Amino acid sequence: MSISSPQTGGSRRPSTRPAAGAKKAGSGAAAKKATPAAGKGGGGRPPITPVKVRQGRNWGSIGLSAIVALVAIGIVGFGIYEVLKSSETWKDQANAISGIVNYNKTDPALVKSGQHQYGHIDYRQSPPVAGPHNYNWQRCQGDVYPAQIANEHAVHALEHGAVWITYRPDLPKDQVEKLASKVRGNDFMFMSPYPGLDKPISLQAWGYQLKVENANDSRIDAFIKALRQNATQEPGAACSTASGNYITSTGTTPHDLGSPAPSAS
Amino acid sequence: MAKTGTVAVDEPVAPASSGAGGLGSFVVRRRALLLGALVAVFALVVGYLGGLLEPHFTAPGDNSPEAGFARDMSTHHAQAVEMAMVAWHTASDPEVRQIAYDIATVQENQIGTMQNWLVTWHLSPTGSRPKMAWMPNGTKELLPDGRMPGMASDAELQQLESATGSKVDVLFCQLMLRHHLGGIHMADAIISLSHDQPVVDLATTMKGNQQGEVTILKQILDRMHAQPLPS
Repeated sequence: MSISSPQTGGSRRPSTRPAAGAKKAGSGAAAKKATPAAGKGGGGRPPITPVKVRQGRNWGSIGLSAIVALVAIGIVGFGIYEVLKSSETWKDQANAISGIVNYNKTDPALVKSGQHQYGHIDYRQSPPVAGPHNYNWQRCQGDVYPAQIANEHAVHALEHGAVWITYRPDLPKDQVEKLASKVRGNDFMFMSPYPGLDKPISLQAWGYQLKVENANDSRIDAFIKALRQNATQEPGAACSTASGNYITSTGTTPHDLGSPAPSAS
Repeated sequence: MAKTGTVAVDEPVAPASSGAGGLGSFVVRRRALLLGALVAVFALVVGYLGGLLEPHFTAPGDNSPEAGFARDMSTHHAQAVEMAMVAWHTASDPEVRQIAYDIATVQENQIGTMQNWLVTWHLSPTGSRPKMAWMPNGTKELLPDGRMPGMASDAELQQLESATGSKVDVLFCQLMLRHHLGGIHMADAIISLSHDQPVVDLATTMKGNQQGEVTILKQILDRMHAQPLPS
Protein backbone atom coordinates (compact mmCIF):
# COMPACT_ATOMS: atom_id res chain seq x y z
CA MET A 1 0.00 0.00 0.00
CA SER A 2 2.57 2.52 1.09
CA ILE A 3 4.91 1.54 -1.75
CA SER A 4 2.56 1.27 -4.67
CA SER A 5 0.18 4.13 -4.11
CA PRO A 6 2.58 7.08 -4.61
CA GLN A 7 3.99 5.50 -7.75
CA THR A 8 0.63 4.85 -9.33
CA GLY A 9 -0.42 8.32 -8.37
CA GLY A 10 2.62 9.86 -10.08
CA SER A 11 2.53 7.80 -13.27
CA ARG A 12 -1.15 8.21 -13.99
CA ARG A 13 -1.13 11.40 -16.07
CA PRO A 14 2.04 11.65 -18.20
CA SER A 15 3.05 8.26 -19.51
CA THR A 16 1.65 6.78 -22.67
CA ARG A 17 2.88 3.31 -21.85
CA PRO A 18 0.28 2.55 -19.28
CA ALA A 19 -2.33 2.99 -22.01
CA ALA A 20 -0.65 0.33 -24.13
CA GLY A 21 -0.28 -1.84 -21.10
CA ALA A 22 -3.92 -1.32 -20.30
CA LYS A 23 -4.95 -2.32 -23.82
CA LYS A 24 -2.97 -5.49 -23.61
CA ALA A 25 -4.38 -6.25 -20.25
CA GLY A 26 -7.86 -5.29 -21.37
CA SER A 27 -7.78 -7.71 -24.28
CA GLY A 28 -6.20 -10.32 -22.07
CA ALA A 29 -9.19 -10.10 -19.74
CA ALA A 30 -7.49 -11.16 -16.49
CA ALA A 31 -6.56 -7.81 -14.99
CA LYS A 32 -3.41 -7.12 -12.97
CA LYS A 33 -1.61 -10.41 -12.93
CA ALA A 34 -1.29 -10.44 -16.72
CA THR A 35 0.33 -7.00 -17.01
CA PRO A 36 3.56 -7.52 -15.10
CA ALA A 37 4.11 -10.96 -16.63
CA ALA A 38 3.56 -9.84 -20.24
CA GLY A 39 5.15 -6.43 -19.86
CA LYS A 40 8.40 -7.24 -18.07
CA GLY A 41 9.13 -10.86 -17.64
CA GLY A 42 12.38 -9.96 -15.85
CA GLY A 43 11.33 -7.92 -12.83
CA GLY A 44 10.31 -10.63 -10.42
CA ARG A 45 10.15 -8.90 -7.06
CA PRO A 46 8.24 -5.68 -7.53
CA PRO A 47 4.95 -7.24 -8.70
CA ILE A 48 4.84 -9.62 -5.75
CA THR A 49 4.38 -6.92 -3.17
CA PRO A 50 1.29 -5.21 -4.64
CA VAL A 51 -0.35 -8.54 -5.43
CA LYS A 52 0.06 -9.69 -1.86
CA VAL A 53 -1.31 -6.43 -0.54
CA ARG A 54 -4.30 -6.56 -2.87
CA GLN A 55 -5.08 -10.12 -1.93
CA GLY A 56 -5.19 -9.22 1.74
CA ARG A 57 -7.47 -6.32 0.94
CA ASN A 58 -9.79 -8.41 -1.21
CA TRP A 59 -10.44 -10.93 1.52
CA GLY A 60 -11.54 -8.16 3.81
CA SER A 61 -13.83 -6.58 1.29
CA ILE A 62 -15.17 -9.95 0.16
CA GLY A 63 -16.05 -10.77 3.74
CA LEU A 64 -17.66 -7.38 4.21
CA SER A 65 -19.56 -7.68 0.94
CA ALA A 66 -20.77 -11.12 1.96
CA ILE A 67 -22.08 -9.78 5.26
CA VAL A 68 -23.75 -6.84 3.55
CA ALA A 69 -25.24 -9.17 0.95
CA LEU A 70 -26.53 -11.52 3.64
CA VAL A 71 -28.09 -8.65 5.56
CA ALA A 72 -29.60 -7.33 2.32
CA ILE A 73 -31.02 -10.72 1.41
CA GLY A 74 -32.35 -11.02 4.93
CA ILE A 75 -34.09 -7.65 4.77
CA VAL A 76 -35.55 -8.24 1.32
CA GLY A 77 -36.50 -11.83 2.20
CA PHE A 78 -38.24 -10.75 5.38
CA GLY A 79 -40.11 -8.11 3.43
CA ILE A 80 -41.29 -10.61 0.86
CA TYR A 81 -42.27 -13.05 3.63
CA GLU A 82 -44.28 -10.36 5.40
CA VAL A 83 -46.06 -9.37 2.20
CA LEU A 84 -46.91 -12.97 1.41
CA LYS A 85 -48.04 -13.66 4.96
CA SER A 86 -50.28 -10.61 5.15
CA SER A 87 -51.79 -11.38 1.78
CA GLU A 88 -52.98 -14.74 3.11
CA THR A 89 -56.76 -14.49 3.16
CA TRP A 90 -59.27 -16.19 5.42
CA LYS A 91 -59.95 -18.54 2.52
CA ASP A 92 -56.28 -19.58 2.45
CA GLN A 93 -56.40 -20.09 6.21
CA ALA A 94 -59.55 -22.21 5.91
CA ASN A 95 -58.16 -24.32 3.07
CA ALA A 96 -55.02 -24.94 5.10
CA ILE A 97 -57.05 -26.76 7.79
CA SER A 98 -56.63 -30.46 7.20
CA GLY A 99 -59.87 -32.37 6.76
CA ILE A 100 -61.98 -29.29 6.01
CA VAL A 101 -64.56 -29.70 3.26
CA ASN A 102 -64.95 -26.62 1.10
CA TYR A 103 -68.30 -26.78 -0.67
CA ASN A 104 -67.40 -23.67 -2.67
CA LYS A 105 -65.26 -26.11 -4.66
CA THR A 106 -67.30 -29.29 -4.50
CA ASP A 107 -70.78 -27.78 -4.82
CA PRO A 108 -70.60 -24.09 -5.78
CA ALA A 109 -74.27 -23.98 -6.81
CA LEU A 110 -75.33 -25.00 -3.30
CA VAL A 111 -73.20 -22.30 -1.66
CA LYS A 112 -74.62 -19.62 -3.93
CA SER A 113 -78.23 -20.55 -3.25
CA GLY A 114 -79.71 -18.62 -0.35
CA GLN A 115 -83.41 -18.66 -1.13
CA HIS A 116 -86.03 -18.40 1.59
CA GLN A 117 -88.75 -20.98 1.89
CA TYR A 118 -91.15 -22.25 4.54
CA GLY A 119 -91.58 -25.80 5.65
CA HIS A 120 -89.23 -28.74 5.72
CA ILE A 121 -86.15 -28.61 3.47
CA ASP A 122 -84.04 -31.61 2.48
CA TYR A 123 -80.31 -31.06 2.67
CA ARG A 124 -77.68 -33.30 1.08
CA GLN A 125 -75.19 -32.69 3.86
CA SER A 126 -75.62 -33.74 7.45
CA PRO A 127 -75.53 -31.32 9.17
CA PRO A 128 -76.29 -28.90 6.34
CA VAL A 129 -73.75 -26.24 5.35
CA ALA A 130 -75.60 -23.97 2.92
CA GLY A 131 -78.59 -23.78 0.64
CA PRO A 132 -82.19 -22.58 0.84
CA HIS A 133 -83.47 -21.87 4.33
CA ASN A 134 -86.31 -20.58 6.47
CA TYR A 135 -87.11 -16.86 6.56
CA ASN A 136 -86.26 -16.77 10.24
CA TRP A 137 -82.75 -17.42 11.40
CA GLN A 138 -81.80 -19.21 14.57
CA ARG A 139 -80.47 -16.76 17.11
CA CYS A 140 -76.68 -17.11 17.02
CA GLN A 141 -75.49 -14.67 19.69
CA GLY A 142 -73.44 -17.26 21.55
CA ASP A 143 -76.49 -19.50 22.06
CA VAL A 144 -75.83 -22.95 23.49
CA TYR A 145 -78.97 -24.93 22.70
CA PRO A 146 -79.60 -27.95 24.92
CA ALA A 147 -81.51 -29.88 22.24
CA GLN A 148 -81.60 -30.32 18.49
CA ILE A 149 -82.69 -27.30 16.44
CA ALA A 150 -84.28 -26.99 13.01
CA ASN A 151 -81.81 -27.19 10.11
CA GLU A 152 -83.88 -24.64 8.20
CA HIS A 153 -83.24 -21.93 10.84
CA ALA A 154 -79.63 -22.97 11.46
CA VAL A 155 -78.68 -22.65 7.78
CA HIS A 156 -80.04 -19.09 7.78
CA ALA A 157 -77.74 -18.33 10.73
CA LEU A 158 -74.82 -19.77 8.76
CA GLU A 159 -75.68 -17.44 5.91
CA HIS A 160 -75.28 -14.51 8.32
CA GLY A 161 -71.71 -15.57 9.07
CA ALA A 162 -72.18 -17.70 12.19
CA VAL A 163 -70.24 -20.85 13.00
CA TRP A 164 -72.48 -23.72 14.12
CA ILE A 165 -70.96 -26.35 16.38
CA THR A 166 -72.84 -29.65 16.44
CA TYR A 167 -72.02 -32.73 18.46
CA ARG A 168 -73.28 -36.25 18.80
CA PRO A 169 -75.40 -36.53 21.97
CA ASP A 170 -73.05 -39.20 23.37
CA LEU A 171 -70.10 -36.77 23.48
CA PRO A 172 -68.66 -36.75 27.04
CA LYS A 173 -69.96 -33.86 29.14
CA ASP A 174 -66.55 -32.29 29.71
CA GLN A 175 -66.07 -32.07 25.95
CA VAL A 176 -69.54 -30.58 25.49
CA GLU A 177 -68.60 -27.98 28.11
CA LYS A 178 -65.31 -27.29 26.34
CA LEU A 179 -67.19 -26.62 23.10
CA ALA A 180 -69.79 -24.48 24.91
CA SER A 181 -67.01 -22.30 26.32
CA LYS A 182 -66.06 -21.38 22.75
CA VAL A 183 -69.65 -20.30 22.09
CA ARG A 184 -70.98 -18.54 25.18
CA GLY A 185 -70.67 -14.77 25.07
CA ASN A 186 -69.55 -14.78 21.44
CA ASP A 187 -71.90 -13.51 18.80
CA PHE A 188 -71.85 -15.34 15.48
CA MET A 189 -71.50 -18.61 17.37
CA PHE A 190 -74.15 -21.21 18.25
CA MET A 191 -74.17 -24.82 19.22
CA SER A 192 -76.59 -27.74 19.43
CA PRO A 193 -76.58 -31.52 19.70
CA TYR A 194 -77.13 -33.39 16.46
CA PRO A 195 -78.35 -36.99 16.77
CA GLY A 196 -77.11 -39.35 14.07
CA LEU A 197 -73.90 -37.42 13.42
CA ASP A 198 -71.26 -39.64 11.77
CA LYS A 199 -68.43 -38.09 13.85
CA PRO A 200 -68.48 -36.92 17.48
CA ILE A 201 -68.20 -33.23 16.51
CA SER A 202 -68.98 -31.32 13.33
CA LEU A 203 -68.43 -27.61 12.65
CA GLN A 204 -70.33 -25.72 10.00
CA ALA A 205 -69.84 -22.31 8.43
CA TRP A 206 -71.53 -21.17 5.22
CA GLY A 207 -70.03 -23.50 2.59
CA TYR A 208 -67.51 -25.16 4.93
CA GLN A 209 -67.54 -28.20 7.18
CA LEU A 210 -65.03 -29.87 9.48
CA LYS A 211 -65.66 -33.08 11.37
CA VAL A 212 -63.39 -33.97 14.29
CA GLU A 213 -63.20 -36.66 16.96
CA ASN A 214 -62.37 -34.60 20.00
CA ALA A 215 -63.17 -31.19 21.52
CA ASN A 216 -59.46 -30.63 22.18
CA ASP A 217 -58.65 -30.71 18.46
CA SER A 218 -56.81 -27.49 17.65
CA ARG A 219 -58.47 -27.34 14.24
CA ILE A 220 -61.70 -26.26 15.95
CA ASP A 221 -60.23 -22.87 16.93
CA ALA A 222 -58.57 -22.54 13.53
CA PHE A 223 -61.93 -23.15 11.84
CA ILE A 224 -63.67 -20.53 13.99
CA LYS A 225 -60.90 -17.95 13.57
CA ALA A 226 -60.80 -18.33 9.81
CA LEU A 227 -64.51 -18.51 9.07
CA ARG A 228 -66.58 -16.80 11.78
CA GLN A 229 -68.13 -13.68 10.17
CA ASN A 230 -65.98 -14.27 7.08
CA ALA A 231 -67.87 -17.13 5.47
CA THR A 232 -71.14 -15.37 4.81
CA GLN A 233 -73.49 -14.50 2.01
CA GLU A 234 -74.53 -11.37 3.85
CA PRO A 235 -71.64 -9.52 5.51
CA GLY A 236 -72.87 -7.29 8.30
CA ALA A 237 -76.06 -9.28 8.89
CA ALA A 238 -76.92 -9.75 12.54
CA CYS A 239 -77.10 -12.87 14.67
CA SER A 240 -79.50 -11.24 17.07
CA THR A 241 -83.20 -11.63 16.60
CA ALA A 242 -86.00 -9.40 17.72
CA SER A 243 -89.71 -9.41 18.11
CA GLY A 244 -91.49 -11.81 15.88
CA ASN A 245 -88.35 -13.48 14.59
CA TYR A 246 -87.08 -14.66 17.91
CA ILE A 247 -85.98 -18.23 17.27
CA THR A 248 -84.33 -19.49 20.42
CA SER A 249 -86.44 -22.59 20.85
CA THR A 250 -85.37 -26.08 19.95
CA GLY A 251 -87.04 -28.84 17.95
CA THR A 252 -86.47 -29.94 14.39
CA THR A 253 -89.67 -28.52 12.89
CA PRO A 254 -89.17 -25.04 11.42
CA HIS A 255 -91.30 -22.34 13.03
CA ASP A 256 -92.39 -20.59 9.85
CA LEU A 257 -93.01 -17.31 11.69
CA GLY A 258 -94.81 -14.83 9.50
CA SER A 259 -95.76 -17.42 6.94
CA PRO A 260 -98.88 -16.40 5.00
CA ALA A 261 -100.10 -19.96 5.39
CA PRO A 262 -98.66 -21.19 8.69
CA SER A 263 -97.86 -24.86 8.46
CA ALA A 264 -96.29 -25.20 11.87
CA SER A 265 -96.59 -23.67 15.31
CA MET B 1 9.88 -7.68 -26.84
CA ALA B 2 13.10 -5.75 -27.51
CA LYS B 3 11.48 -2.51 -26.40
CA THR B 4 10.23 -4.03 -23.29
CA GLY B 5 13.73 -5.32 -22.70
CA THR B 6 15.30 -1.85 -22.87
CA VAL B 7 12.55 -0.28 -20.91
CA ALA B 8 12.85 -2.93 -18.31
CA VAL B 9 16.34 -1.71 -17.43
CA ASP B 10 15.45 1.62 -15.88
CA GLU B 11 11.74 1.24 -15.40
CA PRO B 12 11.18 -2.13 -13.90
CA VAL B 13 8.75 -0.92 -11.29
CA ALA B 14 7.20 2.21 -12.73
CA PRO B 15 5.53 0.85 -15.90
CA ALA B 16 4.32 -2.23 -14.14
CA SER B 17 2.73 -0.27 -11.37
CA SER B 18 1.62 2.54 -13.64
CA GLY B 19 0.03 0.01 -15.98
CA ALA B 20 -1.65 -1.59 -13.03
CA GLY B 21 -2.52 1.87 -11.75
CA GLY B 22 -4.26 2.98 -14.94
CA LEU B 23 -6.01 -0.29 -15.32
CA GLY B 24 -6.72 -0.34 -11.60
CA SER B 25 -8.37 3.05 -11.66
CA PHE B 26 -10.41 1.96 -14.66
CA VAL B 27 -11.49 -1.21 -12.89
CA VAL B 28 -12.01 0.65 -9.64
CA ARG B 29 -14.14 3.21 -11.44
CA ARG B 30 -16.18 0.50 -13.08
CA ARG B 31 -16.50 -1.29 -9.80
CA ALA B 32 -17.51 1.88 -8.03
CA LEU B 33 -20.09 2.54 -10.72
CA LEU B 34 -21.39 -1.01 -10.47
CA LEU B 35 -21.41 -0.85 -6.69
CA GLY B 36 -23.17 2.50 -6.84
CA ALA B 37 -25.77 1.09 -9.17
CA LEU B 38 -26.25 -1.95 -6.95
CA VAL B 39 -26.60 0.22 -3.87
CA ALA B 40 -29.11 2.41 -5.71
CA VAL B 41 -31.14 -0.60 -6.83
CA PHE B 42 -30.98 -2.08 -3.36
CA ALA B 43 -32.06 1.21 -1.81
CA LEU B 44 -34.96 1.38 -4.24
CA VAL B 45 -36.03 -2.18 -3.45
CA VAL B 46 -35.77 -1.57 0.30
CA GLY B 47 -37.62 1.71 -0.05
CA TYR B 48 -40.35 0.10 -2.14
CA LEU B 49 -40.72 -2.81 0.26
CA GLY B 50 -40.69 -0.38 3.16
CA GLY B 51 -43.51 1.60 1.60
CA LEU B 52 -45.36 -1.59 0.80
CA LEU B 53 -44.91 -2.95 4.32
CA GLU B 54 -45.31 0.25 6.27
CA PRO B 55 -49.09 -0.20 6.74
CA HIS B 56 -48.46 -3.79 7.88
CA PHE B 57 -45.89 -2.76 10.44
CA THR B 58 -47.82 0.19 11.75
CA ALA B 59 -51.28 -1.44 11.63
CA PRO B 60 -52.42 -2.87 14.96
CA GLY B 61 -51.58 -6.56 15.31
CA ASP B 62 -53.73 -9.56 16.16
CA ASN B 63 -53.21 -9.16 19.91
CA SER B 64 -53.25 -5.36 19.97
CA PRO B 65 -55.63 -3.37 22.20
CA GLU B 66 -57.12 -1.87 19.03
CA ALA B 67 -58.02 -5.25 17.54
CA GLY B 68 -59.35 -6.46 20.90
CA PHE B 69 -61.45 -3.34 21.24
CA ALA B 70 -62.82 -3.63 17.70
CA ARG B 71 -63.84 -7.26 18.26
CA ASP B 72 -65.20 -6.94 21.79
CA MET B 73 -66.99 -3.67 21.22
CA SER B 74 -68.64 -5.18 18.14
CA THR B 75 -70.03 -7.97 20.32
CA HIS B 76 -70.99 -5.48 23.02
CA HIS B 77 -72.73 -3.25 20.48
CA ALA B 78 -74.54 -6.21 18.89
CA GLN B 79 -76.45 -6.79 22.11
CA ALA B 80 -77.39 -3.11 22.33
CA VAL B 81 -78.71 -3.30 18.77
CA GLU B 82 -80.75 -6.38 19.64
CA MET B 83 -82.30 -4.74 22.73
CA ALA B 84 -82.97 -1.52 20.84
CA MET B 85 -84.67 -3.40 18.01
CA VAL B 86 -86.93 -5.12 20.53
CA ALA B 87 -87.80 -1.78 22.10
CA TRP B 88 -88.32 -0.12 18.72
CA HIS B 89 -90.88 -2.78 17.97
CA THR B 90 -92.64 -3.20 21.32
CA ALA B 91 -92.05 -0.12 23.51
CA SER B 92 -95.12 2.03 24.18
CA ASP B 93 -93.43 5.33 25.02
CA PRO B 94 -92.59 7.48 21.93
CA GLU B 95 -89.38 8.80 23.51
CA VAL B 96 -88.22 5.27 24.25
CA ARG B 97 -88.99 4.16 20.72
CA GLN B 98 -87.07 7.15 19.36
CA ILE B 99 -83.94 6.61 21.42
CA ALA B 100 -84.10 2.89 20.66
CA TYR B 101 -84.12 3.67 16.93
CA ASP B 102 -81.18 6.03 17.44
CA ILE B 103 -79.14 3.49 19.40
CA ALA B 104 -79.84 0.63 16.98
CA THR B 105 -78.81 2.54 13.88
CA VAL B 106 -75.78 4.28 15.40
CA GLN B 107 -74.33 1.18 17.01
CA GLU B 108 -74.94 -1.00 13.95
CA ASN B 109 -73.04 1.60 11.93
CA GLN B 110 -70.20 1.62 14.45
CA ILE B 111 -70.01 -2.18 14.26
CA GLY B 112 -69.48 -1.78 10.53
CA THR B 113 -66.69 0.76 11.09
CA MET B 114 -64.92 -1.49 13.60
CA GLN B 115 -65.25 -4.56 11.39
CA ASN B 116 -63.78 -2.55 8.54
CA TRP B 117 -60.76 -1.67 10.66
CA LEU B 118 -60.08 -5.38 11.07
CA VAL B 119 -60.34 -5.91 7.32
CA THR B 120 -57.96 -3.00 6.71
CA TRP B 121 -55.52 -4.38 9.27
CA HIS B 122 -55.64 -7.85 7.64
CA LEU B 123 -57.06 -9.34 10.83
CA SER B 124 -59.84 -11.82 11.43
CA PRO B 125 -63.05 -10.74 13.19
CA THR B 126 -62.15 -13.52 15.64
CA GLY B 127 -59.24 -13.07 18.03
CA SER B 128 -56.99 -15.65 19.66
CA ARG B 129 -57.17 -14.31 23.18
CA PRO B 130 -60.01 -14.22 25.74
CA LYS B 131 -62.52 -11.40 25.82
CA MET B 132 -61.26 -8.13 27.34
CA ALA B 133 -57.66 -9.44 27.44
CA TRP B 134 -56.62 -6.25 25.64
CA MET B 135 -57.55 -4.21 28.74
CA PRO B 136 -55.23 -4.23 31.77
CA ASN B 137 -56.86 -6.77 34.11
CA GLY B 138 -59.72 -6.86 31.62
CA THR B 139 -60.47 -10.57 31.90
CA LYS B 140 -61.08 -10.07 35.65
CA GLU B 141 -63.88 -7.68 34.80
CA LEU B 142 -65.85 -10.31 32.94
CA LEU B 143 -69.03 -11.32 34.70
CA PRO B 144 -69.20 -14.91 36.00
CA ASP B 145 -70.97 -16.16 32.86
CA GLY B 146 -68.37 -14.52 30.62
CA ARG B 147 -70.32 -11.37 29.78
CA MET B 148 -68.52 -8.09 29.28
CA PRO B 149 -69.33 -5.19 31.65
CA GLY B 150 -72.85 -3.83 31.33
CA MET B 151 -74.18 -6.64 29.17
CA ALA B 152 -77.57 -8.19 29.89
CA SER B 153 -77.90 -11.87 30.75
CA ASP B 154 -79.82 -14.28 28.54
CA ALA B 155 -82.59 -14.29 31.17
CA GLU B 156 -82.83 -10.48 31.08
CA LEU B 157 -83.00 -10.53 27.29
CA GLN B 158 -85.80 -13.11 27.41
CA GLN B 159 -87.60 -10.87 29.91
CA LEU B 160 -87.30 -7.88 27.61
CA GLU B 161 -88.37 -9.94 24.63
CA SER B 162 -91.51 -11.23 26.33
CA ALA B 163 -92.44 -7.98 28.14
CA THR B 164 -95.33 -5.85 26.97
CA GLY B 165 -96.54 -2.27 27.37
CA SER B 166 -94.79 0.08 29.78
CA LYS B 167 -92.75 -2.81 31.18
CA VAL B 168 -90.75 -2.74 27.95
CA ASP B 169 -90.12 0.99 28.35
CA VAL B 170 -88.74 0.66 31.87
CA LEU B 171 -86.79 -2.55 31.35
CA PHE B 172 -85.22 -1.29 28.14
CA CYS B 173 -84.08 1.98 29.76
CA GLN B 174 -82.69 0.10 32.77
CA LEU B 175 -80.82 -2.47 30.68
CA MET B 176 -79.52 0.09 28.17
CA LEU B 177 -78.37 2.47 30.90
CA ARG B 178 -76.26 -0.28 32.48
CA HIS B 179 -75.10 -1.39 29.02
CA HIS B 180 -73.92 2.13 28.18
CA LEU B 181 -71.96 2.44 31.44
CA GLY B 182 -70.09 -0.76 30.58
CA GLY B 183 -69.47 0.49 27.04
CA ILE B 184 -68.16 3.85 28.26
CA HIS B 185 -65.77 2.01 30.58
CA MET B 186 -64.36 0.03 27.63
CA ALA B 187 -64.16 3.15 25.45
CA ASP B 188 -62.22 4.90 28.23
CA ALA B 189 -59.74 2.01 28.29
CA ILE B 190 -58.94 2.14 24.57
CA ILE B 191 -58.73 5.94 24.61
CA SER B 192 -55.92 5.71 27.18
CA LEU B 193 -54.22 2.69 25.54
CA SER B 194 -54.26 3.55 21.85
CA HIS B 195 -52.41 6.04 19.66
CA ASP B 196 -54.34 5.01 16.54
CA GLN B 197 -56.21 8.19 15.68
CA PRO B 198 -59.32 6.73 14.01
CA VAL B 199 -59.71 4.29 16.92
CA VAL B 200 -59.30 6.98 19.56
CA ASP B 201 -61.64 9.28 17.63
CA LEU B 202 -64.45 6.72 17.36
CA ALA B 203 -64.04 5.65 21.00
CA THR B 204 -64.20 9.30 22.06
CA THR B 205 -67.35 9.80 19.99
CA MET B 206 -68.90 6.66 21.47
CA LYS B 207 -68.15 7.83 24.97
CA GLY B 208 -69.62 11.30 24.46
CA ASN B 209 -72.69 9.97 22.67
CA GLN B 210 -73.39 7.30 25.27
CA GLN B 211 -72.84 9.69 28.16
CA GLY B 212 -75.47 11.94 26.62
CA GLU B 213 -77.85 9.00 26.27
CA VAL B 214 -77.19 7.94 29.88
CA THR B 215 -78.61 11.31 30.95
CA ILE B 216 -81.64 10.87 28.69
CA LEU B 217 -82.29 7.31 29.88
CA LYS B 218 -82.10 8.48 33.51
CA GLN B 219 -84.59 11.26 32.75
CA ILE B 220 -87.02 8.80 31.18
CA LEU B 221 -86.70 6.44 34.16
CA ASP B 222 -87.36 9.41 36.49
CA ARG B 223 -90.43 10.32 34.52
CA MET B 224 -91.63 6.72 34.84
CA HIS B 225 -90.81 6.65 38.57
CA ALA B 226 -88.36 3.78 38.02
CA GLN B 227 -84.84 3.24 39.33
CA PRO B 228 -81.69 2.32 37.42
CA LEU B 229 -80.48 -1.26 37.93
CA PRO B 230 -77.73 -1.76 40.51
CA SER B 231 -74.51 -1.93 38.52
